[in-house]
Amino acid sequence: MSDLNDVTSPLVSVRDLTKRFPTPGGMVHAVEQVSLDVGHGETLAVVGESGCGKSTLAQMIMRLLKPTSGRIELDGTDITEIGSRAMKPHRRKMQIVFQDPFASLDPRRQVGKAVAEPLLVHGLASKGSELDATVVELFEKVGLEADHVNQFPHQFSGGQRQRVCIARALALEPKLVVADEPVSALDVSIQAQVINLMMDLQEQMGLSYLFISHDLAVVERVSHRVAVMYLGQIVELGDRSHIFENPQHSYTKRLLSAVPIADPRRRQDRALLSGEIPSPVWADGTSPTLVDHVEVESGHWVASED
Amino acid sequence: MTDAETETGNPVLSVRDLTVTFGSFTAVQDVSFDLHPGRTLAVVGESGSGKSVTALSIMGLVELGTRGKVTAGQVLFDQTGSGDAVDLLELAEADMRKVRGNQISMIFQEPLTSLNPVYTVGNQVAEAVMLHQGLDKDGAKERALEMFNLVRIPDPESRLDQYPHEMSGGMRQRVMIAMALSCDPTVLIADEPTTALDVTIQAQILGLMRELQTTTGASVIIITHDMGVVAEVADDVVVMNRSRVVESGSVYEIFEDPKEEYTRSLLAAVPRLGSMAGTSEPSRFNLVAD
Repeated sequence: MSDLNDVTSPLVSVRDLTKRFPTPGGMVHAVEQVSLDVGHGETLAVVGESGCGKSTLAQMIMRLLKPTSGRIELDGTDITEIGSRAMKPHRRKMQIVFQDPFASLDPRRQVGKAVAEPLLVHGLASKGSELDATVVELFEKVGLEADHVNQFPHQFSGGQRQRVCIARALALEPKLVVADEPVSALDVSIQAQVINLMMDLQEQMGLSYLFISHDLAVVERVSHRVAVMYLGQIVELGDRSHIFENPQHSYTKRLLSAVPIADPRRRQDRALLSGEIPSPVWADGTSPTLVDHVEVESGHWVASED
Repeated sequence: MTDAETETGNPVLSVRDLTVTFGSFTAVQDVSFDLHPGRTLAVVGESGSGKSVTALSIMGLVELGTRGKVTAGQVLFDQTGSGDAVDLLELAEADMRKVRGNQISMIFQEPLTSLNPVYTVGNQVAEAVMLHQGLDKDGAKERALEMFNLVRIPDPESRLDQYPHEMSGGMRQRVMIAMALSCDPTVLIADEPTTALDVTIQAQILGLMRELQTTTGASVIIITHDMGVVAEVADDVVVMNRSRVVESGSVYEIFEDPKEEYTRSLLAAVPRLGSMAGTSEPSRFNLVAD
C-alpha cells in the first residue's frame, strides 16, 4: 500500500502497521499492513464491524499494544520502538477515551482525583489549590459542575461519566484523542450531547480525533475523513463525502445499506440477506491476501477487488 | 391512544393501566397499549424508561424473576380473537407456564446468555416443542430442523448438533428466533433483538423478523431504544419515558407528526445516514432540549 493520504505534515502517521496474535487455532491477523494519517485538527473515523481490527489499531497507536511490524510517527517522531521513559513526553500528546466509562474509572476514587492524576504523574502540577482549580476548570469545560469533583463514579449517569473520562483525557492538553466507541454505550439523546461536546472541544482546542466506531450514522456526523476496515485491512479511505456519497468498495456499500434508516417510508427489502462476518483466524501456513489500493479520485483510495 | 385508526378487530393483547414497582420506585406507571393481530408494535424508550419491565410483566416474569411487583393493571390476552380475553396477571403460575413460550414467546438481547451452554442448540429447540406441543423426540428433532430452515440457518442439519459457543452472534439469534417460533406463538416479544449484533447482521435479523411475521402471522412487540429499528419494522409505536407512555400512534404519525416534546427531542437526537450530504465539516446535533 503506498500513501493513502495527502495530509501534509500529519500529526499521526501510521505505515504498514500489523498485529498478529498466535492462538491454538491459528494466527489471528488482527491488523494487516494498515497505513493512514491523522491531520492536525481533523477527525479520522475508523469504521468496521466486530473483529475488523479497529480497536487493535487504536491500541497500537496509543502504544498499549506492541505492533508485530510497521511504524507509528507522532508529530514527526517515530514512537514505534521507544522505551517507556522516552515515551512519557509523547504520552501527553495523545490520550484515549474508551467505550465503557464505568469500567474506565476507579469505583472507589473521587472523580476529581481521577482527573487530577495525569497532571500529577506528568509533574505538571502539585497537590494544592492550583491543581484543584485546574480540575474544576476541566470539569466546567466538559459541562460538569465544580461540586461534582468530590463524587464517585456510581453517583453519575453514563453520559456524565463519559464527560469525566473526556475531562481526564484533556487534562494534559493532548493533540490527539483516540476515542474507541465513545458513545456506543450511551442513550441516543446523551450520545448526541457527548458528540456535540467533542466537536466543541475540537474547535476550541484544535484537537485531532481518531474516532473508532461501528455506527456509520454517528461517523457521518463527526468525521472529516473515514477509513473503512474489513478483516484487518483498510478497504476504503477518503473524505467523508467520498465514503458516504460515492462509496466504491462492495463492503462499504454493504455496510451503508445495512444501516436502519429512521424513516418508515424508506424501508428496504432485507428479506434474503444472509452470511456471516468471516473470521480473521488463519490456519498455520495460510495468510490473508493483502489488498492493493487504487486512488479513484483525489484522496479517495479503494482496495481492488477480484 | 389512536385505537380507532389502527382498529383491526379485537386486540390480541391489551395492556391496561399497568403499574409495576420495585420497592419505592415505580418502574412502570399506568401503561396502556393494544397489540392488534398480525401487527408489529414497537415500544421505544431510553434506559430506565420501563420498556423492558413492561415486556417482562406481559410474560409474567416480573414477580418470578425480579424483586418487582405488579401493583395494578391488566394484561388481556385474546388468543382466538373472540373478544373473550383472559387477564394473564390473574392466571395461576401453572396455567401461565402453558402460555409462556407457547402462545406468547420472547427473545432477548443477548442470545449467548439465553441459551444453555451445555446442550446443543438442536436439543434446546426440541425441548421447547416436546414440552409445549407434546411431540416425541424424533418429531421434535424434525420440527427443530424445520425451524432452522425457516430462519435460514445455513447447513441446518449439522448446525442442530452445535453448541451455542460454536456459533456467531447472528446465528445464535436465529436459533433464539427458531426456538421462540417453534410452538407457533400468537404473540412474539423481542427485547432489543438486534442491539448486540453488528450492523450487517442486524439488517439480516430485521429482514428475517419482518418476513417471518408475514409467513407465521404472529403479532410482534419489539422493545428497542433504536429509532432506526422502529422505522424499519414497526406498524405502531409506543414511546415511553420515565415509566410512562409519552405518546403512541402509527409509525407514520410518530415519525412525521410527533405530538409530544419528548418524542421530538428523541427524533432530533437520532443520527440519520445521509443527513450530511453535500457538506465536508462535522456538524453538531440540533438538540431540542439540551
